[in-house]
Amino acid sequence: MSILTDTRVSRRGLLAGAGAFGLASMVNPKISWSADGPILKVRSYADIQTLDPCFRLAAPEGDITSVIFAGLVVTTPGESWGWRPMAAETITQLDPMTVAFKLRDNIGFTDGYGQMTAEDVKFSIERIADPANKSPYAGDWATLKEVEVKDKLSGIIHLKQAFAPLWTSTLPTPSGTILSKKAITELGGKLGVKPVAQSGPYILKEWLPKQRTVLVRNPDWKYEPGGFAEIHIHPIEDEKTGELGYEAGDLDYTWTAVSSISRLKQTPPPKTKVVEKPSLAFVWLGMNQDVAPFNNPNMRRAVQYAVDRKAVVDAAYFGAAATATGIIAPGLPGHREKNLFDYDPDRARDMIAKEGLAGTTITLDILNKTERLTAAQVVQSNLQDVGLNVEIKQNDSGTFWTLGAKEGDYWKKLQMIISRFSMQPDPSWATAWFTRDQIGVWNWERFSSEEFDKLNAEGMVELDPAKRDVIYKKLQDLMEENGNYVFLTHEVTGVMYRDSVAAGLKPNGEPVFTDFKPA
Amino acid sequence: MIRYALKRLWLGAIIISFALMMMFAMVYLIPGDPASVALGPRATPEMKEALRERMGLDQPVWRQFVNFYGSALHGDLGTEVLSDRPVLNVVMEQLPFTLALIIGGITWSVALGIPLGCIAAVRRGGFVDQVIGVLSVAMIAVPSFVVAIYSLLVFAVALQWLPAIGAGDPGNLASQLQHLILPSLAVGLGWIGYISRMVRASMLETLEASHIRTARAFGLPEHRIIYTYALRIAVLPTITLLGVGIGHMLSSSVFAEIVFARPGIGKLVYEAISVRNYPIVSGAVLVTTVFFVLVNVAADILVGLLDPRVRSSFN
Repeated sequence: MSILTDTRVSRRGLLAGAGAFGLASMVNPKISWSADGPILKVRSYADIQTLDPCFRLAAPEGDITSVIFAGLVVTTPGESWGWRPMAAETITQLDPMTVAFKLRDNIGFTDGYGQMTAEDVKFSIERIADPANKSPYAGDWATLKEVEVKDKLSGIIHLKQAFAPLWTSTLPTPSGTILSKKAITELGGKLGVKPVAQSGPYILKEWLPKQRTVLVRNPDWKYEPGGFAEIHIHPIEDEKTGELGYEAGDLDYTWTAVSSISRLKQTPPPKTKVVEKPSLAFVWLGMNQDVAPFNNPNMRRAVQYAVDRKAVVDAAYFGAAATATGIIAPGLPGHREKNLFDYDPDRARDMIAKEGLAGTTITLDILNKTERLTAAQVVQSNLQDVGLNVEIKQNDSGTFWTLGAKEGDYWKKLQMIISRFSMQPDPSWATAWFTRDQIGVWNWERFSSEEFDKLNAEGMVELDPAKRDVIYKKLQDLMEENGNYVFLTHEVTGVMYRDSVAAGLKPNGEPVFTDFKPA
Repeated sequence: MIRYALKRLWLGAIIISFALMMMFAMVYLIPGDPASVALGPRATPEMKEALRERMGLDQPVWRQFVNFYGSALHGDLGTEVLSDRPVLNVVMEQLPFTLALIIGGITWSVALGIPLGCIAAVRRGGFVDQVIGVLSVAMIAVPSFVVAIYSLLVFAVALQWLPAIGAGDPGNLASQLQHLILPSLAVGLGWIGYISRMVRASMLETLEASHIRTARAFGLPEHRIIYTYALRIAVLPTITLLGVGIGHMLSSSVFAEIVFARPGIGKLVYEAISVRNYPIVSGAVLVTTVFFVLVNVAADILVGLLDPRVRSSFN
């Protein structure tokens, strides 16, 4: 009886317990080192599914392929978008349709695949552009004619037409990555999750699915070495989990939730830098012009007047993000200074009354993310204020991204959406989805303008930044004038990292792993 | 006994078939296109069509089910088209993490639940019994994801005693155990309550039994009566309870794996469903259902082996 009933804690037991807790607190080191130097532990929002630059699915795969396979050039970190040569010793645009390059003399592929040559450059670029390969990134080389091999290390990239995004979102991205022709041919034309013939400043040492990817310095890389001996990339989808992992000392760098930025800036974790970067992405409220009541242009215009964009964005992003003037972010050609139609609820009420549409109920489809729901609730309140009822419908990602597809029937019911597209640092990436051939693909508002299509095609091949600025401003004017869009925000990216780390970040906060260094 | 085990296995096979049919129906009834989600906005309609074809989605659902089931009987769960990896490999490399989580949860629940139940039974009606009663109900009532989040905030973030994310360094058992403490507590906490309630009730019943009275009359020490005679009988229903509990722990593991960014079957299925990755969903559901059925059959057999009354009832 006494054994079970005597539940008192003895002094010795208490001391033993305290000792055990003390020991446990020492088990979790804050600085990690390998035999070769410091280890950087970072969060990525998704695990890899392929390491083939031609068939990459998401940015985390691009972040890894960009450091294990050398590209001709690489994005430089900093406050403005730029690039520097990586595998190329020299690379020059001779004229709008010709780019000459010469490779560095001693870049080797691992696994015995020898030296990187101009033949590998030709193979890699033409492989992405070749329609037969069905690469989702074929558009990055939309105007490629061919890559001419001059000698072992030199060649010329010939374009059929000038291509404005070439130096911003083609060459410095994984679409400019050079793979070993011999290795990929031996693999049957496609690379999987096991990289072969790596050539960058880091090489992939270990991939544990859903656990981590370990990159180590490439001992054969002859140029500026990576700042860390190892980089451990942990796939953590949820931003809040990433923040907690960082605060517990398990990570050195993570993206944060937008909702956490103001809290983290006010009271950052110890020895931490919290950085806020403008995002290139764009978020908008869209109206399907082929479905009632938005087949009435006045109804679309009334909603444009009814939505208090600042209130929506402040509520959804906790005051951390600014309202957008269009789909092209500040700093890029084509960014507009102001909207054509702004918040004017009285005008909205008048228009709705004139059209006899007061009391109409509208469905608003959103992705089931907290900030979208908050934004939708403020829109709901704004429209209620002018006499319209809104039913919010939350969808998981698998459903949401097919709502407006022409293959299904839901586009015939789709009335309003709040959506978000990510971006690359060229305005053509923003406008490409709103052309007529994108109706039922990604143009769910079914916005249809011949003038828009014509200008969009012109913008792609125009190299003069001033002329491009005019073109892309006009494109957004057309979108807004037609009434399908209420431009909400470009969002903001929150990043935090230890002050012992000098983070290499692109202007939008995305990481450049080669440029992370110990501070 | 063998006949009984074979009967249970046959029933298990029917359960697996039914679960797979349900899974197919549910997954295919919800709207969504895996090709659009997987390939993203830059994919052309031709590319999406090609992917649908590779995934076998161009065939009627019944044919997809028959094909999957037929292949599964031969141990082939198909290929995950995005990574070109066998589905069985993808699922089996995640299974050990979930098993570790469940074993950890069982360890917590058995190690704490049985002694608490014993103490409560022995101190029946007293203050200690009431405290344990309140604690047990509280542990049952608190959802596992709440336990996960608060234990993470307290022990990982505030105190920094334990790691917050991941499953530990491969090959380092100490690191893996350290990473297992909080997630397994989140999974097992509710079951501490269930088991303590169950053990208390069984112990009370057993302590009133005639053979215990006889043992007391013969002057056997109380701890021997409790440990050697009462507890052994009282713990039997707990085995059956744990068989069912493992199924619940499997579902709780989804939250624990997401909150603690651990690999595992739960997270694998959650992510696969969100992108409509049908081969992974099917494969993982099949493997977990087989596992669940086998555990329950094993629990039934174990009870039969430990309790002669159950054993004789089979005969």
